[in-house]
Amino acid sequence: MYKTMKAVGFATVLFAGATTANAAESITVSVWGGFFEETLAAEIYPGFTEKTGIEVKSIAQPEDSTWMTQLMAAARAKKAPADLSLVADEVLIRGKNAGLWAQLDPDNLADTKALKEGYVKIDDDNKAYAVGALAFYTTLVTNTDYSKDAPASWADLWEDKWDNKLGIVTTPNSGLLEATAKTFFGGYEIMQTREGLEKVIAKIAELKPQVSLWYRDEGQFQQGLEAGELNAGLYYHDVAMLSIWDGKPIASNFPKEGGILSNAYWVVPRDSKKISATEKFVSYMSLPETQALMARKLGIFPIVPRDSMDLTDDEFSAVGSEIEAVRVQTEIHLREGDWLESKYQEMIAQ
Amino acid sequence: MNLFVPRILGLCAFGILSVFFLLPLAYMVVVSFYKADPMAFYQVAFTFENYQKYFSGFYLNVTLRTLWSTAVSAVIVVSLAFTAMLSIVELSRKWQLFWVILLLSMMCLSEVIVGFAWLILLSESAGIPRLLGALGIWDDPRSLSPSFGAMMIGLVTLGFSVVSLVLYPQIAGRDKSVEEAARTLGTPPYLVPLYVTLPIFMQTLIALTLTMFVYLLGVFVMPVMLGRPSDWTMTVMISDKALGDANLPLGAALAVVMLIITGALLLLSLYVSRKRRV
Repeated sequence: MYKTMKAVGFATVLFAGATTANAAESITVSVWGGFFEETLAAEIYPGFTEKTGIEVKSIAQPEDSTWMTQLMAAARAKKAPADLSLVADEVLIRGKNAGLWAQLDPDNLADTKALKEGYVKIDDDNKAYAVGALAFYTTLVTNTDYSKDAPASWADLWEDKWDNKLGIVTTPNSGLLEATAKTFFGGYEIMQTREGLEKVIAKIAELKPQVSLWYRDEGQFQQGLEAGELNAGLYYHDVAMLSIWDGKPIASNFPKEGGILSNAYWVVPRDSKKISATEKFVSYMSLPETQALMARKLGIFPIVPRDSMDLTDDEFSAVGSEIEAVRVQTEIHLREGDWLESKYQEMIAQ
Repeated sequence: MNLFVPRILGLCAFGILSVFFLLPLAYMVVVSFYKADPMAFYQVAFTFENYQKYFSGFYLNVTLRTLWSTAVSAVIVVSLAFTAMLSIVELSRKWQLFWVILLLSMMCLSEVIVGFAWLILLSESAGIPRLLGALGIWDDPRSLSPSFGAMMIGLVTLGFSVVSLVLYPQIAGRDKSVEEAARTLGTPPYLVPLYVTLPIFMQTLIALTLTMFVYLLGVFVMPVMLGRPSDWTMTVMISDKALGDANLPLGAALAVVMLIITGALLLLSLYVSRKRRV
């Protein structure tokens, strides 16, 4: 049965492809490369093409700031490398201030009403410059061959029980600062001042003897964890879930202080010529059915209210948790920008 | 009339060099004086702020250790390749060919492939540590990377084949009569390479070491993949700033300073080695 459905689906895609070739309407969508991009292209976009007749050309984009640098260079040449792009908070705000994003008409975005409050970003002209795409957790991921017990708190990272095999992200906006502040300093309040931030960074520096890998490339962490070179670390919950579903000895744990929850948004680079098609795309991606499908296929956390989707309890608990999440304090990261990045880099590389 | 074609060709070369090297370089210098804007991108300005950050201590420290690790690896590469080639040219024609082909194929591998291969070879789950553990030589085998040594191994692997292949024709075709004369005059055979062959090739070896130094200075993958954060070189810091933090002005300023330091060091060593020859 499944096979036939797949065949029918494939035929529809082919057919849709044939019709749109005549209509010649297509958009280029870029998201973070790897399994994430492949799955979106294979499982999610075909539904959109089927519904609207608009072809989607999927391309992979590099890590956030690198992509922003490229978008900036392209904007100067009045070009859009993609018609739609997925970005996280920091790049969303920096790109907005630099005038990188096109304006969408909220009247054409009726379907985005399905999203939770605040996910459609409106500017001073009452136009939308970004629409929420999805949310994703970063959790404390462990190798179950090494340790069967799930760590209960972020504080477990600081305990000398990981055989000096921790993998931690090198960038300061991973959420580790916030998780540390919440776990050891009673909340994000301490991050308001530079003295406070220095205390939090000093606490993270205590991890250094135990960290065997400071990573920027998630592939390196994943490989190390699966091979037993790493016993625990900070990692994306969705990718960890894909490994778990694949039978790997990995657990993704939500500490009692919460997993780190980040948002990703769709933005349209300023020089895209296909505004109307992109409006249809973000509308489609906001539908509760699409959000539920993304949760099932990608392991991401949906951003529409739970009761609007048909996710079972098991499916829902596989992609998130009821514990109040740790939130990256983007304003602080932007305000302290270079100072914070340098302090963090010095702490790691000194 | 005769000079027309060479002049046109020279002009083309200069044009290509300007468009693809000098112009981007000039742009980099200009950007290095801009002001970074953490809320957006950067603002056109004229400030020395980025250069001041370089001299704040941390980057100076990183520069020193970069120069140190690069210089050490360049010297290791050239000495290894020189000694290896001295033995290889003594082999039969067939085996010499085998080595040349092997070295050529090593050059086909990209940095990433070489880095990844060493990452696996040095890992405790699949590589040398595991083998030593299985043989009972190492009780508690641990991954040997990331470490300073792992990074050096990676850098040396990258440079080894290039230097060997440059040295091969020169060493194979050298005039052996000088060495024979030295032996006839009573130099112990095991000291001949040190007292005779090495001085003959000294200029070439110095030039190769300098070339390797500049080449390895720009390697990005090895420090990131095989080194610890405390081994990361300026190349890593520059890309971290320029791309990772989208702070192009600071990245550009760091790159400009590195360029000046490298240029100055090269000029200095050329001057010193030339003086010694006279």
